[in-house]
Parts: sequence; C-alpha cells; structure tokens
Amino acid sequence: MSVFTAAFAVRAYIAVAAVGLTAPVVGSFLVQRRLALIGDGIGHLAFAGVAIGVALSVAPVWGALVTAVVGAIALERLRTTGRIAGDLALAMVFYGGLATGVVLLSATNRFDASAIGFLFGSPFSASWSDVVTVVVLCAVVAATLVPYYRQLLAVALDEETARAAGLPVDGLNLLTVTLTALLVAAGMRVVGLLLIASLLVIPVAAGSRLAHSFRDTVLWGVTVGVLSSLGGLLFALGQGNIQPSGTIVLASIAAFAIAVFAGRRAARRHPRQAAR
Amino acid sequence: MPVTVELHGVRYAYGAEPVLDGADLELSAGDFVVLAGHNGSGKTTLLKLCLGLLRPQAGTIRVLGSSPEDPATRRQIGYAPQGLRVVTSIPVSVGEVVTAGLTPIRSMWRGVPDEPARISSALAAVGMQDLARECLFELSGGQQQRAILARALVADPPLLLLDEPTTGIDQSLRPRLAAELRARADAGATVLAVSHDPDDFHAVLDRILVVADGHIRQLTHEQFHAHFDVS
Repeated sequence: MSVFTAAFAVRAYIAVAAVGLTAPVVGSFLVQRRLALIGDGIGHLAFAGVAIGVALSVAPVWGALVTAVVGAIALERLRTTGRIAGDLALAMVFYGGLATGVVLLSATNRFDASAIGFLFGSPFSASWSDVVTVVVLCAVVAATLVPYYRQLLAVALDEETARAAGLPVDGLNLLTVTLTALLVAAGMRVVGLLLIASLLVIPVAAGSRLAHSFRDTVLWGVTVGVLSSLGGLLFALGQGNIQPSGTIVLASIAAFAIAVFAGRRAARRHPRQAAR
Repeated sequence: MPVTVELHGVRYAYGAEPVLDGADLELSAGDFVVLAGHNGSGKTTLLKLCLGLLRPQAGTIRVLGSSPEDPATRRQIGYAPQGLRVVTSIPVSVGEVVTAGLTPIRSMWRGVPDEPARISSALAAVGMQDLARECLFELSGGQQQRAILARALVADPPLLLLDEPTTGIDQSLRPRLAAELRARADAGATVLAVSHDPDDFHAVLDRILVVADGHIRQLTHEQFHAHFDVS
C-alpha cells in the first residue's frame, strides 16, 4: 500500500481539508475588520486550555475549546469596551496563554512531544475520533456562518452604519470571535495552535489579490485554503520526515505570492484595478 | 402628515461645552430639510442622536414614533454617513455595499422580495446601474459616496438621514440626486440632509435649519447666506 493511500494519510486529508475549507471563510470577516491576529491570540490561549485539560484528565481538545471560546469572548469585550488597547490585549493573551500552558504541563510532568504536537500539529497521528471532532467543529462553524453571512458582512463593511441600522453588532462580533475559537480548537490537530491563524489569514490575503468582491475573495480563499492544505500535506508525505504543518503554511504563502503576481498581471491588463 | 422626528429640549455636550443645548425640532412625513451650519456646530451630532448612536444628556428624542435606540425603529432609517467608512482590507463590490442596506429588513433565511430589482433601482437612482460588479475601492470618491447613498435608499425607508450626501460628487450630478431625494419626500419619506452648503438642494428643499449656539433655527436661503455662509 502506498503511503499516500494509507489510513493515517486518509484521516489527515479529511482533517486538513475540513480546516482548509472553513478557516478562510471565518478569516475573511477577521481580515476585513483588521483583526487578523486575533486567531493567533486565541491559539496561544488555547494552549493553556490544553494544559488545563491534561491536568484535569479531560481530552485536550475540549480544554482548548472551552478556554478558547471563553478567552475569545473576554478578549472581544476588552477590545470593545476600550479598557485595554487591542494590540496590548492580544500581547497579554499571547504570552500569558503560552506561559500558563508551559507551567501547567511542566507541573504535571506532561511537557513532552505531545505538547509540541498541540503547538505545531500532528495530522498523521490523528485517530478517526480526532477526525470526527475536527469535521464536526468545522461543520458547526460553516452551518452557523450560512444564515449569518449577510449580517456579518454588513458589520464587516461598516460597523457604525450596521449599528445605526439596528443590527445586533455586539452579538455578531461575539459570534465572529466564538467561531474563530471553534476553528482554532478544530485546527489544533492539523496545523497546531501556533500556526492555525495562518490558515485564517493567508488564503484570504491571496484571495483578495484575485477578486473584485468580498464573495469572490471568500471563494478564492477557500480554494487556496484547501489546495495549500492538501498540497502541503502531500509534500510532507512524499518527503517522509518533514512536519506537515510547516509545509501547509509555506504552501499557502507560495499561493499568496502567486496570487500577488497574477493580480498584478490582471491589473496591467485592466488598468482600473491598479488603483486598488 | 404624521410627525416622524421630534426633539424636545435636547442637550449634548462633548466635555463641558454643549453643541446642543435645549434643541427642539419637529419633522413630518414628506419633509425635505437641510441641516446646515459651521463645522463643529453639532450637525452630525444631531444626526447621530436621531440614529440612537449617541444618547442625549437631557431632553427627549422620538423617531418614527418610538425611541431611536429601538432596533425596530433603526431598521426603518436609511443612513448615509459622510465619506467611506469601509475598511479597505478586502475588495468589496458596489452591489455588496448596496445589498448591505437590505440586510436589516431581510429575514435570516429568505431574501427581500424583488431584491435584485431593488438593488438595480437604487443604483439607477444614483446613476450607477452599470457599476454593481465593480470593486468599490477602484472607483472615485464621488462614485463611492453615491454607492453609500444607494445603500441608504435601497430599502425605501420612511426616514432618510444623510450626512453630507454630496461630498465628492460631481457638480453636474448633484441636481439629479437632489431630484431623487425630492421624489422620495413627495412619496412620503422624511429627508434630513446635513450639508454645509444647502445650495446643492436649493430648488427642491422645504426648509433650511441651522444649528447655532446649541439651538436649531429655521432660515431662508437669503438669511443663511447673509449670516451662515461657509462656502
């Protein structure tokens, strides 16, 4: 049997495809609102959740999920109430979450290779149970986004006008960060907590270079997200000794570079686009 | 005609200095009013109070018969802010911007009846019927402002609150936009446009109001140019 069709590889394909498909959709709303780094902050926080899960003998993904959701909501509240500057709040979460995770895992003698797996992902070691968890979390995120797409877009376009129009802006903002937290927990297995934010942002950045509308940016972002996830995984499989999370992120950066080049060529053909 | 906007004794201050102090205003369905005055006189503040984005420190405000903080009331207001407030990270098409104006009246699962026709009609009203698929950020400032106006018009709201709606728009197009707003007022909508230059609407408006010394006064064109001309 080829390594490319082995059961562990099939499980990894499904998991990375689910995250690659969903992350750019959520990421589009984050990037549009200049909150691209919030996924990073939530990822760091989720590492503390992993450690709490380990300390309490609960599955790490559930510890990460609960901590990420609670932390994301707290972060959004801090940001909107202006009690702390946005970048300062994120920095506190970055360092505090990571440090708490390291301290808790060390204290329980669990700061080992599995901890590194949570930080940098290990899709080839995912069980079917892990894959089901990833797919269900991604499906929940996608199923929530569909009915709220228009409202989330209206808020992302112009928060003050959306508020003036009677849309529940604060609730929609909380929904956005909560979905981000779910996705971070889902992506923990695939690219790890330190790199999941890249799948929220880089495919969207690539899509924005090729599109003329938000909808097309999302569609291009999803395409780049899925292709770079599967491409990076296949490259790592072929090489045998390379960590797939790294190749997935590098593949999405390569896709971004191609999109920049293609976007510039298109702009030369249609000079109006050059104004963007 | 039913009263649509009522302000009684409204006070609002930034710090110790009030921009509105005991301001009264009453607008009815069918009114087309321009709110003029110097920069910083409180025009935009008054608009934001009517939108419920600011809360008066004294006095009462009723819009369309209820509090402007009521989301159901806000959904009946077409608001066009001054200039572009869209964050420019991701391209957004003109059609998407205008469609956002229907979101407040749209159910979560079903679109608004005749949605494409409404969008086309709103774009035609501002002379942009052929630009729905264009990226907003590739257009001129005036075209972007017209797209924002179309977003305010698309739901056919009974109250239009417009902040400097002609900013950046070519002089030759302004009479067309003024006529469009007049037609909306004639059909029963209330139009309140903040403008530092009411001449843009000279031929079609009903009243010029001026915010000065915290109060709202009604002026003729001649009085406005004699005492408040800021052009």
